[in-house]
This record gives sequence, C-alpha cells and structure tokens, in this order.
Amino acid sequence: MYYKEWIKTRWYLLLMFLSTSGFAGYCLLRLHRVIALKGIGHVWEIMLTHDVVFVDYLKYVPLVAGLLLAVVQFAPEMYHKCLKLTLHLPVSHLTVITQMLGFGVAIVLVCDILNFIILWSYMHQVLAYELWSRCLLTALPWYLAGLAAYLLAAWTILEPDWRRRVFNLLVSLLVIKIYFISDAPASYNGFLPYLSVFTLALLPLNWISIARFKEGKE
Amino acid sequence: MRKIADFILCFIVLVLLVWQLPWLINFLRTPDSNNTFALYSSLADDFICNQFVGEDKKLHRYGTDGREYSTAETDSLLPCFFMRQLVADGRFPDSIHGRAVTPHEVLQTNISIRLNPRDINGNNIALYPLIESMPKRVDLEWPDDMFRITDTGIEFIKMETNEVKTQKSRLFTEALQEKGFSFPALWVSGNPSVRKAYDEGYLILDAQHRLFHLKRCAGRPFVHEFPIPEGVILTHVFAIEPAARQFRGLAVDTENRLYVLTSDYRIALTGVESFQPVTDRLMILGNMFDWTVSVLDDYAIHHYALDATDYHLIRRLDRTLSDSSLPGLHFTSGDDRFCYPRF
Repeated sequence: MYYKEWIKTRWYLLLMFLSTSGFAGYCLLRLHRVIALKGIGHVWEIMLTHDVVFVDYLKYVPLVAGLLLAVVQFAPEMYHKCLKLTLHLPVSHLTVITQMLGFGVAIVLVCDILNFIILWSYMHQVLAYELWSRCLLTALPWYLAGLAAYLLAAWTILEPDWRRRVFNLLVSLLVIKIYFISDAPASYNGFLPYLSVFTLALLPLNWISIARFKEGKE
Repeated sequence: MRKIADFILCFIVLVLLVWQLPWLINFLRTPDSNNTFALYSSLADDFICNQFVGEDKKLHRYGTDGREYSTAETDSLLPCFFMRQLVADGRFPDSIHGRAVTPHEVLQTNISIRLNPRDINGNNIALYPLIESMPKRVDLEWPDDMFRITDTGIEFIKMETNEVKTQKSRLFTEALQEKGFSFPALWVSGNPSVRKAYDEGYLILDAQHRLFHLKRCAGRPFVHEFPIPEGVILTHVFAIEPAARQFRGLAVDTENRLYVLTSDYRIALTGVESFQPVTDRLMILGNMFDWTVSVLDDYAIHHYALDATDYHLIRRLDRTLSDSSLPGLHFTSGDDRFCYPRF
C-alpha cells in the first residue's frame, strides 16, 4: 500500500520538499540580507519593537503543499475509478484509507520537520532563544494548517456526492480559517496543543467519505 | 468507527455555527455608538463630554448638567488641552488659576498616557535593551546588547555574537543583589526606544513584589528601591517618561488601586477607585493643574478628575455602556493578543 502511494506521489514529493525548503531558505536569506545591510542589532530591535518574525513568506506555503498532496494522491484514484479496486482488497476499507492517509500525514510531518530544522539551524546562531523560538512558534499554526488542508482536501475529494462535496468544501474553508485568524506573533502558543489534537481529529472525517463511497452514493 | 467520524463532524459543524452565525449577525447590524470621551475642566469645575447628535452626527460638547458649550467656549474652558488653537487665535491666557503660564510650559507639562490590556496580555519577548541614560551625545543610542532576567541573575547578551557578557552580567546582578533584589523578576517595564527625550531605564518588580528602578549611567548600574507602604502588594508597574519628568510611572496593586510613582521615589495613591490592567483600558490626559483619568471596562467608562499635585479625587463621572451585540464563540479579543476559543 505504502509503495503504491510512493509510486503515485514521488515526483510531487520531490517538488514539495524542494519548494517548501526553498521558501524556508528564502526567509533565512531575507534575514541574512537585513543582517548584512543593517547589522544584527537592527534585527533584534525590529523583532522586539515591531513584531517582525521573518517567516511571513511561509504563511500559506504549507497550506498549498498539503492541499496539492491530497489532490495528487486522491484525485487520480477518483478520476480513474482506482479507489473502487483498492477497496476490493481483502482488507477493511477503513484500514486501507487510514494507511493511505497515514502515508500522507507522515510525509507532511517529515516535510514540516525538515523546514523547521532549516529555519532553526540558522536562526539559533544569530538570534537569542526568545527570538528564534518566537519565529518558529509563529509558523507552527501555519504548518498545522498544512496538515489540516491535506486531511480536509482528502475528505472532500473522496466524497462521491457533488452536493455533499460542496458542503465539505465550505466546512473545510471555515476550519482552515481558524489557523489564520490571528496575525500577532506566537499568539497561538497556549492553544497549540489543543489545535494539534483537533488537526489529527480531522482524519476520521475521511471514514465518512469512504463509507459513503462503499454504499455507492453518487 | 463511522459513528466516531459522524460525531466529530457534528462537533465541528456546531463549533463553526456558534462561531460564524453570531459574527455574521453582529456584522450586519449597526453597532451601538458609545461616546466615551470626556475631559475635566478645572475652570468650569465640570466634565465636558463629547456627543455626536443630530442627523449629521455632528460633534457637540455638553457639561454634566446638560449645558451645551460652543467650540470657542470649550477651547477657553480647556486652555491646556486646546493650547495650540488658543495661541493661533491669540486667545491664550497669561495666567490660569492665578498662575502665570506660557505655551511652552503647558506643552512640557501636558501628559497623554494610554494603557491597553493588549499591551500586557500577549507573548511579549522577555529581552530588554538597557539604553545609556547619560549618553555623551545628545541623542540616545541603541546598545549592542540586551538583557534577560533569569532565576539567578541578569544576563546581558551581546547581539553581534549571541553570547552572554559574563562580566557585565555579574556587575549588574551584584548591583541588584546589593540593594536586596530577589530573582526572578515578576514584572519588567520600560520604554525600549531611542526616539525620546531621555531614558530612565526600567521599573522591575522582584520575586518579593518589591519595586526597583534600574538604569545604566555611564556604563555603570544605577539601582534604587521604591519604599512600598505596608500592606501594599504591587502587581503591575508601567514606566512612563513624561517630558517634564514629573513622575516615573504608574503602579497597580492586588486591590486594583492605582498609584503614581513620583520622581522622588514615593508611591502616591490616586483617587481612582479601581483599575484592572489585564481587562481595563486606561487613558490619562493631564496638565499642570489636573488629570482626567478614564477607565474603560466591559460595562462602563469611569472618568476621574484628579488634582495634578497630590492625585486626590476632585470629581467623578460614570457612564454605562450599551452593548447589544450577540454573544458567541470568538478566537481573538480586543483585550489580548492570544488566539484561543472563548465565549
């Protein structure tokens, strides 16, 4: 199952890793340019007095990456009617879909961790703990939004009924909005553990779509 | 399994409805207009309140007895607040309350302070630049380091290398300990900016709720403790650097009483009945004769007229606020910079 998912998505995964890492690298390049032009003191000053976090360009990158992963992984299954065949394997259909989603969640998490390692590796050298941790914690809800976007997009794509798909889309948009309500740096800190659990709790929504698919809803 | 998934979906839809429906209804409705601005006039011995009335919602000014004042009358009754207008009209008085005044003196002694709960309710960075208070040049200069206060002392971090300056850290830690400072700090307040006339460093509450003033003078630490009256436990302090250096800041205790930290290191109790920094907004517009202190909470606005010399209460005006907005789930609030669900 995992090999099948790997074959299906491997080129997109390469693109996803390269592009998200590229955006993370670009944020660091901007930080490095400001240091080179105005000095490190200026960076500390604007972070302290103007709420600058230098990771703004990453805001919607994990969201788009997660969304596209779901499209690449599940849209061909629906379009070519491959899912029907997959669900005829001698395994529970819930196990099958959970394994497929587990593959995607693992990929998104690995990509997120890689991005955070890239950001931390430079930031911790030039910024105090209070500053670099603030940058990373500001970006964390955006990365959770990427995971949520993947799970919600899969839920919407796997839904067999078009009318219900519109409903799923509407719910998904409002859920995604939760991750982008506040622009204040590190404002989600206290809410992050609950938001993480909430994000993972979006996975079972896909069971509804699969059950409806099995029931033959069109 | 399907039941669990259905339950999660129902829960999510319910949360989204409780969040978005009240927001939509409140957005479509015209909000109540609460006119909250009032200033005390010592010449009229009354508050002058702004109100937008009539079809065109034009600004009118009334006394608490309902008497309407014209724009020119208001300017004359609030000569310190409308000083520039009176000077432009050639109507600025030579004396106020028998005291000779000049526009420059009024400009120097006027104060305008705003405290918003958003400023303290947030994940603020616990790093502070200690600006040189006695610079060789006229302008203040941003230092090459910032300090943090740990459980055991004060640490200066050199920005260029991101390393702790051990010698300077030890010097300032010992200076604080000599004055009886107990680490860690409960509250640190300063104005980290070089775009100001002078710098007075930081006001710091130590672990025992004792209040200290820390600044850097010619590279050396200056530490002074404020003697706190018995029974008073300060919870919040706000460092303020007014142009005329009349005072050093404001403080609030566990009973929500407001104090002025005077320039001679006294803690003067004001006539403000209650101010909770974590929920209330505070605005002070003051001059050399009196201060108008406005405290805005969820239900009302309280205006206090205080004497500018000893901060005793002269007059008080309370106005309840009308709020017809539909309650619902919110993730953000005007009172803080956190994001989490709350009703």
